[in-house]
Amino acid sequence: MNTVVCLKQVVDPELPAWDFAIDPATKRQVRTGKPLVISTYDENALELALQLKEKVGGKVTALTLGPAGEVKDAVRLALAMGADEAVVIDDAEAPLRLGPDKAAVLAAAIRRLGAADLVLTGCESADWVERSVAPLLAEMLGAACVTFITALETGAGTVTVRRTAEEGVHVVQARLPAVLSVTSDEAIRPRLPKVKDIMGAMRKPVQQWTPADVGAEAVLPPVEVREVSVPQRTTRCEFLEGDPAQQAQALVERLQALKLI
Amino acid sequence: MYRAVDFRLSDEHRVVQAAAADFAAREILPLAADLDRSGGFPQEVIRKAAEAGLLAMTVPEAYGGAGLDAVAYVIAQEELARASAGVQTIITVNNSLVCEPILRFGSEAQKRTYLPALASGRSLGCYCLTEPASGSDAMSLRTSARADGEHWILNGTKIFVTNGVEADVCLVYARTGPEPGARGLSAFIVEKRVPGVRVGKIEHKLGIRCSSTAEIVFEDARVPKANLLGEVGQGGRIALATLDGGRLGIAAQAVGIARAALEAARDYARQRTQFGRPIADFQAIQWMLADMATRIDAARLLTLRAAWLRAQDRPHTREASMAKLFASETAMWATHKAVQIHGGYGYIQDYPVERYFRDAKITEIYEGTSEIQRLVIARHTIGTRT
Amino acid sequence: MSALLVIASALDGQMSRSALELVGGARALAGPLGGTVAAALLGAPPAVSGAAEVLHQHGVSTVYRVAHDALTTGQSDAVLEAAQAVVQRAEPAVVFITADTVGREVAPRLAYRMRAALATEAMSVEADGQTILVRRQVYGGRAVATLAVTARPAVLSVKPRTLDVPGPSPAAGTVVDVPLAIDPARLAAQVRDRQRQEAEVSLEDAPIVVGGGRGVGGPEGFRLLGELAKALGGAVGSSRPPADEGWVPITWQIGQTGKSIRPNLYIAVGISGAAQHVAGVSGARTIVAINKDPEAPIFSLAHFGLVGDFKQIVPALLERLRAVKGA
Repeated sequence: MNTVVCLKQVVDPELPAWDFAIDPATKRQVRTGKPLVISTYDENALELALQLKEKVGGKVTALTLGPAGEVKDAVRLALAMGADEAVVIDDAEAPLRLGPDKAAVLAAAIRRLGAADLVLTGCESADWVERSVAPLLAEMLGAACVTFITALETGAGTVTVRRTAEEGVHVVQARLPAVLSVTSDEAIRPRLPKVKDIMGAMRKPVQQWTPADVGAEAVLPPVEVREVSVPQRTTRCEFLEGDPAQQAQALVERLQALKLI
Repeated sequence: MYRAVDFRLSDEHRVVQAAAADFAAREILPLAADLDRSGGFPQEVIRKAAEAGLLAMTVPEAYGGAGLDAVAYVIAQEELARASAGVQTIITVNNSLVCEPILRFGSEAQKRTYLPALASGRSLGCYCLTEPASGSDAMSLRTSARADGEHWILNGTKIFVTNGVEADVCLVYARTGPEPGARGLSAFIVEKRVPGVRVGKIEHKLGIRCSSTAEIVFEDARVPKANLLGEVGQGGRIALATLDGGRLGIAAQAVGIARAALEAARDYARQRTQFGRPIADFQAIQWMLADMATRIDAARLLTLRAAWLRAQDRPHTREASMAKLFASETAMWATHKAVQIHGGYGYIQDYPVERYFRDAKITEIYEGTSEIQRLVIARHTIGTRT
Repeated sequence: MSALLVIASALDGQMSRSALELVGGARALAGPLGGTVAAALLGAPPAVSGAAEVLHQHGVSTVYRVAHDALTTGQSDAVLEAAQAVVQRAEPAVVFITADTVGREVAPRLAYRMRAALATEAMSVEADGQTILVRRQVYGGRAVATLAVTARPAVLSVKPRTLDVPGPSPAAGTVVDVPLAIDPARLAAQVRDRQRQEAEVSLEDAPIVVGGGRGVGGPEGFRLLGELAKALGGAVGSSRPPADEGWVPITWQIGQTGKSIRPNLYIAVGISGAAQHVAGVSGARTIVAINKDPEAPIFSLAHFGLVGDFKQIVPALLERLRAVKGA
């Protein structure tokens, strides 16, 4: 199984709220000086790919799009976790690109890599949460598409996946090649990169291309980001004091007054 | 060609930092407060640390280590200590005080026998130097080793041995000749399971509580001749060379504790409201935080410099002592300020700063007290005087 | 006049409520943009028969009806083909799709096939002249982005339960049956099985929701929350950590990842208030927070705060509720 995993590096979403700021010029989160991490669900996708490789063999290629100086750590971490090789598409514009633009570059790179059976992405990026890259890649590559999966098994020319849905789980069988987006599950909690694998990871091959190298072209008309604002909350919390019985009584009285119960 | 000083971390050092920080966040931090309270040895954490390659970071990959340099080592130690100084103590002893001397002074056979086991966590190491009557004056130690056919027979008592309870491999210094001081000393790799080695009194400590500290007693312990580390009479040299590296680990530990204290104090100051505004708005608090940040950066830079020298195989005794002295006193000072910023909440166990405060103190004591560090630095500054 | 086309799915035997939410969104744009509201009603033959009338009642003029046995729950590929068939007939300027399991897969793919501008996961849509402004949460709910969509055609996906169901506005309408020639066995992805995990009361429709976070400590804690929810006639949900830890099914998760809810009352228990979770409950009318940490960010969002151990507070609440009901 030849798997390409798309990894995005984002500003650590765990940063405290006071450290969160929007750059008015780019209308994106300020990245300079902030810790960057692999977007949460992308790491799950990598874990799923590595587990699949351990089960059925094959190769895992980590593919990332971003300013090369910023994303190379993510790539080395992915290699230390067990990816076989990596491709960096060096693109200073990447943090500004929306889903369709990103997908166009990634699809071109995947085509250039050749013969991927599976392309895995996170179900959404931790920053922009468009959830569009996997379905777009599927169309661009002429592949099957299933999103928000938690597990997969391979068959003859197919994969059978578990997809998280509103009312439970869908078991979906998809033809290969397929583009799958991965959500979270205990079984695919990403492994930690090991320090003992870092020197080995430094020796693994990393290709570096530009969007022009892979012949990427935007296909869909652009959408403009007009404004990104941080809402100010104005709620004032009334704290209900006393022992638990007194707190409970006070709460029930207030909820009754508001006709909520 | 002239090269300007470059303060950026290299690619692999940044990746090591990220990997160590991930490990600390996931495997250590959630347990840190409980480990401190229970004082129980974190068996599972150490097993995972071994799996990650954290127990033998500077040992070459050929011997099962991570093949990294001293800079990578101190970067990782800071991240681990930021989560739990107790866990990091266990790890730094294995790295600096056991793997390193075997790597530097051991025979090929000793390296092949012990390093892969120490790296993989099959064995844990401890360092047996201090005795009841020899602390700062380490070279006056009295434990004896006498040759007997194919063995050395060891007799004596070592105290304050970190990992003493759980360790399998002890690096032991003993007197092999009549010469006084360092010249009569030799170093031995002693497997704790051999008859005549037992764990004595187990200490209860103020801080780094999840690491064990024990007395180890040698009573006619028979150690194979092959387990002499280096040559007869080389013990003093091995001890001093080892402590240079050990001090880097403690300096990094102190930086990690101090950073944890700063981050906790900063977060608290931002959210704690008094007189109608966050206390971070008050200059009294701001100055404390600014001084903490400045001293911590200075401590880290001293530590990185010493580590860089060590990685280049350049002399670094003076620089390691400076790093250890300044970082440990910074840790004590910064944790003290962090408790102060927390007020009453800093004095109770609901917040982590009281743990940082207790953990910080040991860094001024072990692997050479601040007084010994000043002595070393003074000798390098003034020149040796009789 | 160009059409604003709503993809109205009736995959599970009846038309979903979110289809009408989309109709509301389309109606709001129809005036300023100048267009009529049409719908693609997709489902298996019996399901779609009566639903066209409901759409007409809500102001949809033309209903393009695609009845096919393959149009069942989760069959994204069939829905995509059906939507495309309608699009080819209707040539809409704007397509609205619900961002649910199927819609998340269909919207980008349909946009690609139409070479349309794409904006996903909208929480509101409005017109600014001929420009469509789409608002959506970004950065784990910490910020709101406004996207300006000027190109046509455009595909918009809208998060369920973020737009209101519009009142009736009966329109004289026509129904156009659109044939769909697909072989279900040849679809690239096919649903083989469905396993229901839903709680007794649907999280998204419950008027009262009790949410539990990491502070609930494990499955036992959630049993206590279940009792509270039952006493209140509500549903139980969770923030991300309990779902990640496997204490509760992932379908219970509320937040940016997970469900958006708009109950009248939300009771957050042991939830710190990470932006990721807050993003999913910002539509709740009244929020109560129970947490032992008085500094937890959730209190800055809550209307009522109870500081203490939920293991004591929740039983006290249950007792009080029983006393009130018994009286």
